[in-house]
Amino acid sequence: MPVGPFGLDPLIWAPLRLALAVGLALFLVLNGALAQIYLERKLQAIMQDRLGPIHVGPQGLLQTLADAIKLLAKEDVRARLTDKWFFLAAPSIVFAPMLASYAVLPFAKDFVGVDLNVGVLYLATLGSMTVLGIVIAGWASNNKYSLVGGMRSAGQLISYEVPQLLSLITVVLVSGSLSMVQITESQHDFRINLFILPLAFVTYFIAALAETNRNPFDLPEAESELVAGFLTEYSGMRWGVFFLAEYGEVTVVSAILTTLWLGGWSGPWVDSLPILGVAYFTLKTYLIVLVFMWIRATLPRFRIDQLMSFCWKSLIPVTIANILVTAVLLLAFPTTRVPVAVANWLMLGAFVVAIPLLQRRRLAGVRARLRAEAERRAIAV
Amino acid sequence: MDGIGTALFAVLALGLVGGGLAVVLVNRITAAALFMAFTFLCNAGMFLLLGAEVIAMFQVIIYVGAITVLIIFGVMLTPQGDRRYGLFFQKQTPVAAIVLAAVAIPVVVFAFSFRDPTGAPHLAPGDLKALTTSIFVDYAVPFEIASILLLAAMVGAIVLVKRESDDAAGGER
Repeated sequence: MPVGPFGLDPLIWAPLRLALAVGLALFLVLNGALAQIYLERKLQAIMQDRLGPIHVGPQGLLQTLADAIKLLAKEDVRARLTDKWFFLAAPSIVFAPMLASYAVLPFAKDFVGVDLNVGVLYLATLGSMTVLGIVIAGWASNNKYSLVGGMRSAGQLISYEVPQLLSLITVVLVSGSLSMVQITESQHDFRINLFILPLAFVTYFIAALAETNRNPFDLPEAESELVAGFLTEYSGMRWGVFFLAEYGEVTVVSAILTTLWLGGWSGPWVDSLPILGVAYFTLKTYLIVLVFMWIRATLPRFRIDQLMSFCWKSLIPVTIANILVTAVLLLAFPTTRVPVAVANWLMLGAFVVAIPLLQRRRLAGVRARLRAEAERRAIAV
Repeated sequence: MDGIGTALFAVLALGLVGGGLAVVLVNRITAAALFMAFTFLCNAGMFLLLGAEVIAMFQVIIYVGAITVLIIFGVMLTPQGDRRYGLFFQKQTPVAAIVLAAVAIPVVVFAFSFRDPTGAPHLAPGDLKALTTSIFVDYAVPFEIASILLLAAMVGAIVLVKRESDDAAGGER
């Protein structure tokens, strides 16, 4: 009879390990959400010259905990005309893939749930499942605002998945692996991918903002036009689960950005003290989470047609060109990464400069057309 | 396969068959679509058990993440009530049973009589290298032809449904 770790039968050890892993991931998600909500409130308060939560606990630290207890204690309300099973299933369908993503995140050397050799693909796969839950939530609510929110969300998530995946491809080309652990190890000695592939970092970051429904892409739950989008009919902890999933998703994409572009757990003295890796990984991840919050406090929301045309007319062509250039340069210079880095920085510069110039030209065209139309009307009258 | 593999196989097989039956028998089209997604997930699990990770991932990414969403999207855009009548196979049970038997019995017989002719051990886990070499090296030309065909189909679909609007200029501000 085969014997697993700790002298346990594998048939007992496997479910035990699964339960432990799920428990740990849940622990991380719940605490991460508590910390992030507090951080977000405080950060937005600072940026908007307010105080933020101050009453519950020192510096308002326990405010989110109090809110969580309030959510848990709320009555579980379901409108009569909603579709029962779909309404109840939707939060889980959004939450479960996010939770499963934690399995492949490499927190430190030898501290990873499972080192899948298709880890990046696994994360992309789970990211694509969220949209199903959101669409179902919108449909099952039997409410036109929810439905419009769900449909917007489907369009947005499916569109932005394309540049997101295409941005990942360049990193995979440079690192030569799909495994999260091997990608981290390929960036030793501060030769992190951010220096080599800044354009892919920026495009992935933009697409990730859209994938997590964060500002400036939070159209599916745009309060000013859609009540609360697909969340309109949800309340209490079912609503809370959606928000947990959103904050968990933010953490996951930040962790992907950390692993793929910022070198994951690597940092000074990490070879002699591997546990430092967890600290580096967490710090880098939360640095990106803070940028997410900064953007939320700064930028206004896109309009739906701007959102779509930006994705299909700007982001996707840029990412495809990036893949082409990176692949050709890697084949031409197999030993050095310098040409790739130079080309990528140049392309990033061109991307950043081109957007305002193109925008100005387009707006000038729009103004000229409107003026001509107004004149035509004036003549007709 | 060890004990855990067998147990997982049993769970996945039950999910696959049960989900498939539910897709056909359930009267609500939205529920059928969701059961179909569940079946695809079980299918991906089967691929994982066989060590074909890439195929499993693409199974989920394409079938659950794209096709099921598309179907649900289509259902959402059309008015749906609970149907009072059954679909073809729900109405004509004897015909359905005969067709099912005609298809399923040979498959079952074939599956149970199948023996690996080479007797070779299972492939090493991970199909990434093998899959990519066969797509991009051995079968590069068929792959390209298929992609061009898909592109042509996509362009054709867009041209067919494109509407000439009178205020085309006002569409984009």
